Amino acid sequence: MTLTPGWFMAVAAVLFALGGAGVLLRRNALVMFMSIELMLNAVNLSFVATSKALGLVEGQVASLFVIVVAAAEVTVGLAIIVAIFHRRPSADVDELTELHG
Amino acid sequence: MIDYHALAPAAVLGLTVVAALVVDLVVRRKVWVAVVSLVGLFGAFVPLLTLAFCEPLLGCASTTRELFGGSYVVDGYALVLGAVFLATAFVAVLLSVDYIESDRYYEGEYFFLLLAAALGGVVMASARDFVTLIVALELVSGPGFLLAGWRKADERSNEAALKFFISGVLALALLVFGVSLVYGLTGTQLFAELAAVDPDVAELPLFSLGLLFVLVGFGFKVSAVPFHFWTPDTYQGAPTPVTAWLAVGSKTAGFVGLLSVVFLAFPQLRHVWGPMVWVVAAASMIVGNVVAIKQDHIVRLLGYSSIAHAGFILAPIAAMAGAPAEALPLAFYAAVAYLLVYAVMNLGAFGVAVAGIAKVGSGKLSSWRGLFRHSPSLAVMMAIFFFSLAGIPPLAGWFAKLAMFQAAVGADNPWGLSIAVVAVLNSVVAIYYYAKPVVAAFFEEAPAELQLAEAGAASSPAMRLALGLAVVGVLVLGVVPGVVAVLGRYTTSLLTLGG
Amino acid sequence: MLNAYFGDYITVAVFMAVGALLVAGAIFASSLIAPRRPGGFKEVVYESGIEPIGGGWNQSHIRYYVFALLFLIFDVEAIFMFPWAIRLDFFAEAGLGITVLVEMIVFVVVLVLGLLYALAKGVLRWE
Repeated sequence: MTLTPGWFMAVAAVLFALGGAGVLLRRNALVMFMSIELMLNAVNLSFVATSKALGLVEGQVASLFVIVVAAAEVTVGLAIIVAIFHRRPSADVDELTELHG
Repeated sequence: MIDYHALAPAAVLGLTVVAALVVDLVVRRKVWVAVVSLVGLFGAFVPLLTLAFCEPLLGCASTTRELFGGSYVVDGYALVLGAVFLATAFVAVLLSVDYIESDRYYEGEYFFLLLAAALGGVVMASARDFVTLIVALELVSGPGFLLAGWRKADERSNEAALKFFISGVLALALLVFGVSLVYGLTGTQLFAELAAVDPDVAELPLFSLGLLFVLVGFGFKVSAVPFHFWTPDTYQGAPTPVTAWLAVGSKTAGFVGLLSVVFLAFPQLRHVWGPMVWVVAAASMIVGNVVAIKQDHIVRLLGYSSIAHAGFILAPIAAMAGAPAEALPLAFYAAVAYLLVYAVMNLGAFGVAVAGIAKVGSGKLSSWRGLFRHSPSLAVMMAIFFFSLAGIPPLAGWFAKLAMFQAAVGADNPWGLSIAVVAVLNSVVAIYYYAKPVVAAFFEEAPAELQLAEAGAASSPAMRLALGLAVVGVLVLGVVPGVVAVLGRYTTSLLTLGG
Repeated sequence: MLNAYFGDYITVAVFMAVGALLVAGAIFASSLIAPRRPGGFKEVVYESGIEPIGGGWNQSHIRYYVFALLFLIFDVEAIFMFPWAIRLDFFAEAGLGITVLVEMIVFVVVLVLGLLYALAKGVLRWE
């Protein structure tokens, strides 16, 4: 049995779905954020696998950009979460109910 | 060789971003950072103009310039939308100057972040492949997250930033996953090559799934229903000048990306994305308008109104579901024209909100009653912008709606006609909730316990200039709609009638 | 060819089996001959040989987080230099070597400016 790109895509899809489920089901801002990172890494896997299968490099370069964008988002997101921890003991999104209507 | 002239608008703005950071370290009076920002934004207009009038002035072969193998294109569309982003950032800086200085939270990064987001918008307008588009989109969004949470010690601002952030990053993940599927099936990320992709590949279910993910990602960015839930909370919790930028600059960036993707990359797949956009457009108009009726806070009201306007902008795109290829330029023109007008009138409306909140001390519409008695000029401007948003002639909004209806009906298919009917009904509802606070501001008594602020941020020179620019814009674009028409037609030159 | 491919896996499997046996044997042998004196210092958290201060779930000070984020950003930005370095030959042959070099210098200068800004803002002071 050989590993076809389809298998990599399947793994990527499973990782992406796991990440998506994490965002929808978990209520801790940090964990939601980690789930989103999982989704972004699923994207990287899918980019690299398809790009290797097609014999092109653009997909691999795209994954580099996704990595950098994700790192920038980590920096921004953690700054926001730290600001919240300054004010309150937990980062449970259900407790954030100042704004509604 | 690299065409540095074509890169000049982005390069000037990039230099300004760095300059804002350096100047902030050197000077003590922070207003100079704002001055540097304004000069830089103005400076970036110059290469835009030389690029636009390149043929008559400098004897270029063509206005359209392709760089980096077609990934970055400067054409009429990029120039007009680039100018919109620069102008929006310009007004947002003007609105911020006094707000930020009167606040305890001043940090030099404020203008740096605002300029970086504007740079993302300018690159966005030129992006013609998915990687460039994603990087540009995140350059717009990333600073937006931080700006929304600017009031660090204010829990509402924290909450605004976190909601915006989680939904924004989720949108990014969905968007790039869709892109990776499309790339995996086609082997290209260039819009020009995607438009010419083999129809057999394009009909694969996986390809449609990728397209769906991309559209959902943009749905979050333009805050269209059902991806809008973060919008009112973020708009209310963020500092109001930041909200002006988010509602205009950030949202326009989302629309620019969406227009590029659907009209440049997938024009032949309009039977796939058309119905999806139709559902989102109709839902946005209905939910935005109906929920706006019972809002009692001016920023939330404008937030829901911006959701409804997202639906109006999407309407001509939705009409393409069953339209022939010849109808594409008209819809593209209508969406761009609406975006231009939307930017001007919403900047004005949010400017009024900033000034009014500084004046009466609250965004609650109950404290805005009787505004005309104590601040007549503010009340008149409120009326101008709100009636423009409602689409009442001779203010700019009517022309945007007219172009939208023309494109939707002109597409001549059931999708276009039905979305036009939804839009007409919603325009009527919209008049009601825009008129109500204006009538209250003019004809009711001010609440007795109202504490009015003396002068200050409500009537500073920067605020006057910002509001003045917006008023002139709304009146000129309304009375001389040819300006919008010319600019709109200028952008459609990039659409070939193929597909 | 396929056999050679799986042959490599057999080598790996043999290595893993030998490794597992070795570890199991060592644990088994030590359980037979080692003396047992539980309690005391043995149950303390291991902290690189020095005496531990506080519990295992101690919070680190928030200021370290800025260092971590700065490291993350500069670390990740470096990945753009690898594709650039690989393609440098190609551009040099096309006569664009200097242009491409200058552009990377611009990129690095912008990064350095960011670092200097952090320095000037005092977030890099370690005390």
